[in-house]
Amino acid sequence: MLFLTLFKESFLFAVQALVTNKLRSFLSLLGITIGIFAIISVFTMTDSLEKKLRDSVKSMGDDVIYVQKWPWTFGPDYPWWKYMNRPVSSISELNEIQKQSQKSEAACFSISTPFTVKYKSSSVENANIICASHDYYTVKTFEVGEGRYFSEMESATGRPIAIIGNTIAEGLFPQEDPIGKIITVKGSKIIVIGVFKREGESMLGNSMDAAVVIPINFARNLVDLRSDRIDPTIRVKARPGISNEELKDELTGIMRGIRKLKPIEEDNFALNQTSMLSTQFDGLFSIVGIAGWIIGGFSILVGGFGIANIMFVSVKERTNLIGIQKSLGAKNYFILLQFLAEAVMLSVIGGTFGLLLIYGGTFIVEAAMDMNINLTKSNIILGLTISALIGVVSGFVPAYNASQLDPVEAIRTN
Amino acid sequence: MEVIRNRPIILTIICIIGIMWSLGSFVFVFSPTIKKISDWAPAIYGTMVALQFISFIGIWHMKRWGVMICISAFFAKIIFSLVVQDIAYVEIGLSIIFTVFFLIFYRRMDEEL
Repeated sequence: MLFLTLFKESFLFAVQALVTNKLRSFLSLLGITIGIFAIISVFTMTDSLEKKLRDSVKSMGDDVIYVQKWPWTFGPDYPWWKYMNRPVSSISELNEIQKQSQKSEAACFSISTPFTVKYKSSSVENANIICASHDYYTVKTFEVGEGRYFSEMESATGRPIAIIGNTIAEGLFPQEDPIGKIITVKGSKIIVIGVFKREGESMLGNSMDAAVVIPINFARNLVDLRSDRIDPTIRVKARPGISNEELKDELTGIMRGIRKLKPIEEDNFALNQTSMLSTQFDGLFSIVGIAGWIIGGFSILVGGFGIANIMFVSVKERTNLIGIQKSLGAKNYFILLQFLAEAVMLSVIGGTFGLLLIYGGTFIVEAAMDMNINLTKSNIILGLTISALIGVVSGFVPAYNASQLDPVEAIRTN
Repeated sequence: MEVIRNRPIILTIICIIGIMWSLGSFVFVFSPTIKKISDWAPAIYGTMVALQFISFIGIWHMKRWGVMICISAFFAKIIFSLVVQDIAYVEIGLSIIFTVFFLIFYRRMDEEL
């Protein structure tokens, strides 16, 4: 109880000292503010970007294998010329995979190509036209907000129907209900039967907001399905409980069989998966994180030296006061706590200002970049605890020196 | 009567190394590796580093509490490294050597704050 009373008294002394020297306190806490601002803003940005990227990767399906001509990642000695002559994936290969695969839940064939979509006098340029086989809805993660998905019959017969993204719907039908309206893609009339739920911008460009999905059997009239430029892809989703590696092993066997590859021949297809992208991003974000850590770490250390310096000045200034306190019976730890509390308060106030600056900054960046940026709980905890600890480290030596002063000598000091 | 406790030269060297080491370690509080462990991991690691720094200041002033805090911080760091499965053998080795020297001179140190 006595300790708590003394602690409270030390705290009040510290508050009084800070209030008395407002400008000095402000200038000394500025170092910590800048340090915390530097480090936590880097962490906030990288965390937000990482989350956004991971969400984008997740929406592609982490249990989906993409059978394509080109691999997604290459080593430094990448023999690109080897890949040039590879055949592209085809619908007949999809049919074989569907027939032979035991470990897949669903598979679909899709291509994507940019086209202008028109409705009356309105048009949307470079809309992402996705031509997909029926099981696309099982393999890809999306939600149809209004209307419906294609029926199996519609997919098989290649009916001219489409599900459009939210951005396309807003662009073409600002005042109307898009369902049942007829849009034009490359001169072909297509009936809108559904609108995707808004997803927001994707960092990988795979958001359904700017997409128009049409049945692949209808798309035969619009595009050459064997063209290398449209990147024909077979997406295969693993059954629950089947790992991607197991599915890849099975698909390798099936694809080699379909393409009649001899045992000595290399695969002439790539089996891609989203973890390949995640691994690349891990490397990128760890570099950004390390850069932020080094820059912020040192700036906060410099801020700590600023606090230590001001605390030494503070002790020097109040030496005779310390002498009087000690001669009236103040214990060493009381003096120590008093100065330590002052240093910690300075530091925490500085850190809080830094966090508030970041919090304000997130709104500005969100408005400017149309991106969701969150100052997370973990970064707030990090910012506050680190500022408190910097206060302890930088304030301990001056506080300890103050606590060790001889009362008689201290009172005599001018 | 004031008792003057001279600090042995070896303790001076250890304290200088220790203080530099603690300040250097403080930067690692922000390391992405530690941040990934949990929300509170940087705070816990930072507290241990701060305790280590304080302990070296105590030892510099030939105080027994410095040795006690140093040993406590050393064990706390070992437990932390075991939990996160990232054992720094060099750090443990150095800490053991330092602790041995601190214990040799423990009797010459002051009990008071």
